[in-house]
Order: sequence, then C-alpha cells, then structure tokens
Amino acid sequence: MSTKNDILSSIRSHTVQTCDMPAIELEAIQYPDTVARFTEVIKSVGGSAIELQEGEDINRRIRSLYPEAGVIASNLPEIRIATVNPDEVETPYLLNGTALAVVQGEIGVAENGCVWIPQNVKEKAVCFIAEYLIILLDKSRIVSNMHEAYEQIRFNDNGFGVFISGPSKTADIEQALVIGAHGAKGVVVLLTTV
Amino acid sequence: MNARHAEAAARFIQNKAQEEWHNETLFLVREKRDRQAASLPEWEQLRQLASQIKMHTITHLDNYLEQFADRAEANGAIVHWAKDAHEHNEIIYALLRERQVEKLVKSKSMLTEECRLNPYLISKGIEVVESDLGERILQLMNKPPSHIVMPAIHLKRQEVGKLFEEKLQTEKGNSDPAYLAHAARLHLRNEFLTAGAALTGANFGVAATGDVVVCTNEGNADMGASFPKLHIVSMGIEKVTPDYKTLSVFIRLLARSATGQPATAYTSHYRKPRKGCEMHIVLVDNGRSDIIGHADHIQTLKCIRCAACMNTCPVYRRSGGYSYTCFIPGPIGVNLGMLKSPGEYSGNVSACSLCYSCNNVCPAKIDLADQIYKWRQQLDSLGKADRTKKLLSGGLRYLFARPALYNTALRLAPIINKTPRFLIYNNLNAWGKGRELPVFAKESFAHMWKKGKIKQHP
Repeated sequence: MSTKNDILSSIRSHTVQTCDMPAIELEAIQYPDTVARFTEVIKSVGGSAIELQEGEDINRRIRSLYPEAGVIASNLPEIRIATVNPDEVETPYLLNGTALAVVQGEIGVAENGCVWIPQNVKEKAVCFIAEYLIILLDKSRIVSNMHEAYEQIRFNDNGFGVFISGPSKTADIEQALVIGAHGAKGVVVLLTTV
Repeated sequence: MNARHAEAAARFIQNKAQEEWHNETLFLVREKRDRQAASLPEWEQLRQLASQIKMHTITHLDNYLEQFADRAEANGAIVHWAKDAHEHNEIIYALLRERQVEKLVKSKSMLTEECRLNPYLISKGIEVVESDLGERILQLMNKPPSHIVMPAIHLKRQEVGKLFEEKLQTEKGNSDPAYLAHAARLHLRNEFLTAGAALTGANFGVAATGDVVVCTNEGNADMGASFPKLHIVSMGIEKVTPDYKTLSVFIRLLARSATGQPATAYTSHYRKPRKGCEMHIVLVDNGRSDIIGHADHIQTLKCIRCAACMNTCPVYRRSGGYSYTCFIPGPIGVNLGMLKSPGEYSGNVSACSLCYSCNNVCPAKIDLADQIYKWRQQLDSLGKADRTKKLLSGGLRYLFARPALYNTALRLAPIINKTPRFLIYNNLNAWGKGRELPVFAKESFAHMWKKGKIKQHP
C-alpha cells in the first residue's frame, strides 16, 4: 500500500503542467460497402470471408472447407458436426489436438478485418489452440472502423474478449511472412444473414 | 559501458551485405507504414489526437492509475505497485515461489527487458521461456533483442537454422523460415502446456474498465494466458489510457505504424482472471514519474513502443540495434537512455543526423529529434563532449569571429586540395572519418564578388 502511495505522490509532485483532454470528434473513414471491404482486407491479412448463401447448410459448408478435420470444437448448437464441446471439457489442456474450432463473432470491422469475439465459451483456449478457426459473423454487424466497434463491444461474465484479424503469423525470421505461428493457421469468417 | 555508437556501428557495417539488407528491409517496413497511413484520410488527425490524449493522461496520471487499479481489482485482478526494477522482479518471484511454479512462459515485454527480469528469475531457479519467435531465438542464443518489435531482425535465416539444429533438433542445413517457424510452434506448444504461469506485457491499460490490452501477431500472449492458473501482467504506469474512446485511437495507429499492418492478428482484452485462476497486474514506475517533471523530455512518456522511429531512422537502419548501449535502440532509445543515466548512455546521442524523420512518423508525435538535439547541448556540462570536436569547434569559433583571419584562411584553403591525405585524414579531424572533404574552390565567392566577377542577371 505504501509503495502505491509513494508512486502516486511522486507523480503528483512531478506534475507541473496539466493538459486538457482533446475532443475526440473525427470523421473516421466510412466504406460504402462494408462487406466488400471487410472481405478484401481479411484476404490481405491471410484469412478469408465467405458469405453463406440463403438456405445453405452450414455444417455441410464447414465440412467442405475442412474435409480432413478430425476433432472439431464448438459450443454452438447449430454446429452439429462438432466432436467436442469446449464448455464441457474439464481443463483447457484437453483441447490440445483440436483441428478446427467454430466460434461466434459479434462485430466485424471493415477497416482492418478484425472480428470481436467475447469469450462465450468456458475455455477461451479454443480460439487459439485450434489448428484452424471458423468465425461466424452476422454480416449486418460489420462496421467501418474501430471507433464504431469500441462503442459496441460487450463483455460477458467471463471477462475476456479479443479482436482477431486473420490467422496467427510471424515474420521474425528475415521478415519472411509465415502463417501459423502459435494460433490458428487459417481463419475463415463465415458471413451469415440473420 | 560507455561505448560510442560510432565504434559499435563500425563493427556492424563491416559486413556490407548485411548492412544493405538491414537497411533495405527496415525501409520496406517503413514503406508499408506509409501505405497504411495514406489509406486513411484522418491519419494526421489521429496522430494529433494520440499526442493530445497522451499529454492529458500523463499529466493526470495519478487519477487514471488509481481508477485503473480500482477497476482491475473490482474485476477480480490483484494489483501490485513496484517503485523500481528490483521491486518488480521481487514481486513476480514471490508470486511464483508461493505457488511453487517452476516454469514461466512469457510473451514479449520490453518492460521485463528493462527490469532484467529473466536473469533474476533464472538465478532463483525458475525456468523462463520466451514465446515470441524472435525472442525465443535470441533467448536460445543468450542475446538481447536488437529491435523492439522485430527482435531478431539482425539475424540471417542460416543462423537461425543452425541454432535450431542444435537446440530443437531440426534437419541439417534446412533454413526455410516456414520450416523453422513450424518447428518453433511445436516446441513452444509443449512449453505453453507445461508452464506453471504465464507473463504478458501490456500495450494499454484501460482506466474506465480495468482491461489489460495486449497486441500480438503470433497469438503467443493468448496461448500463454489460456492454460496455467496464474497470469501475471507486467505494465509500465504510462500505459494507462482513460477509456475505449481513447484506446480506439491508439489501436488504429499501433499496428499501422509498427509493421504496416491494418491491425495485429490478436488484440486481446483481459478483464478478469479465468474462473478459478489468478490474474496479477504489476504496475511499474522505475523512473517514469520523475520524467513527468522533466519539461524537455516529458514527451517520451507518450511512446507506444511501435518502433516506427527505428524503422525510419537512417542511422538505426545502417548500424543495427546492437550499436546502441540502451536496451531500447533508435531515436526513442537514445532519449530513454539519457533519462535513465546520462553518464552511462551519452555515447548514443551521436547516433542521429537530425533529419527529423522520426518526429514525422511517430504516431504520438514525440519530439524525438528535438530532444536529442537538447541532450547534445548538455554533453559538455556532463563532461561527455568529444574532445577533438570540442577543440576544433573552439578553433572555428575563434576563426569566425575574426574576419581578416577568416579571409586569409579561406584564401589558403585550396592548399588542402593538394595536401597529402595522411595530413588531413587522421585522428585530429573527426569530420574526415568515413567521408571525403569537399574540394575547396580556388577563389572564394566574396573575393569574386569584390572583383566584379559575378555577373548579375537582370
């Protein structure tokens, strides 16, 4: 407690000027077709966005995207091909070996391909340990920029959320881009119409 | 150590091909940054806002820090306060010891580099595993990072290949980056799954919500924090930002400025500990609160550690991170080093051509070059001025103050053109090192003017 007070009083004693908070009113970029822009950006960051056609069977679509996937983890009721429910595993370690995870995203961002995923499963590990990741996203929930996204994001009781923009990547060896560092080696955003 | 930057740089540039590659590769990153900046009409407005938000936050830091700590604790995290590097290291070691943690998996954190946490923990018997690929490579080599975002940028793939052959038993002679990165993925996955605790840095701490925000491309912070029961966050007190409205400004600038990406692959918000687990946040001062009172240098606290100033710096690009003695190289590192210990780090202030490119790319508009200029003015009073240059400057001042002497000198200057090289290019002439002196004209302009040799055009 005393260290806290020491640091705070050191800050106070050194603060000689005070600066006002600027008014954050800027006309941030707007895209006339957010779905098209989102699709283009997600491709540029190594992922892809695919629109699910009306009446198309989502399980069949996922299977055709990943015909080889063995362990499929999802807690979404409509994902019938799931073999593991991440809500029911006792520890996150049991998710090791997951080939494909299917999760629900809430907000897409057209300027940078981000999708907001609040932790809506018991073990958030599922978003990172799976070899491949499919994010379901209502295409009417794509906004133009991060300012709009931050106005809308919600947390639930799990207290974690992440913006994911494409697959995990590294360029740490000679700046050569390698997709699939520690997280998913591939990310597909399935755009749905609710 | 007070090695002069120029001496260390001379070693780096001995390998001409490597110097060229380093220079060009970093400039490509700078160009990617430019393309991202140009894609947003509001880019300059964002930089201006970032600068103002930071100045506001730094000058109200006590309020925002208290708010952040209160919120984080209300969310179930435990907040610790560390005055300096030693307290930071002790707090973390105590957390690990009390829980009998044998292995700590880390994601990238320049703060733990600043505090020299790894050697401290290792000396106490804790196994420390860096999980960012570049950091892991360097850890296996027992070397520090040479860049704050691309830590292993000075290495060639063959060096990494050889290292992995020895440490990770990869194929002999295979230095394909995809192959090596995959080998590291498998190796580190095992580390993530067997570590007793995870440590992450913090790009931002949000006062209004208590969130710790961490940005990575590899997903290593999240892999770390998703498994063990203990998550420790090491966070500098200047990382706090008031709310999401301000955070969105920084998130839009960070990846674009750092690597020329529209966003990092993961922008993670840690608000609460996982169910049945612990989250500890260590807030570190380590000299930051003193900088607030330093009117000439307060702006260094606006830094969001994107490294754009390094990527654009002609001196950094051609001399590499190891030519600087501060753990953070480049323009921001020159200034942070001087704030930490002018006596120790003054050798870095010459690593600047005052081209001001850093000022113009910094997403928070830090006056980096102005600060370096100011430090140089203080070198003499710090007793760190270069003696030969000082002597020459004194001589030139004497000369410029005496027109008759100056004119005579000018008339005689062409003699230099025919003087044997060893008389000019030697240790007494600092300006003759690594560059050629200009050829002096036979007649000065002033002389020609007086003689009417200059024709005026109507």
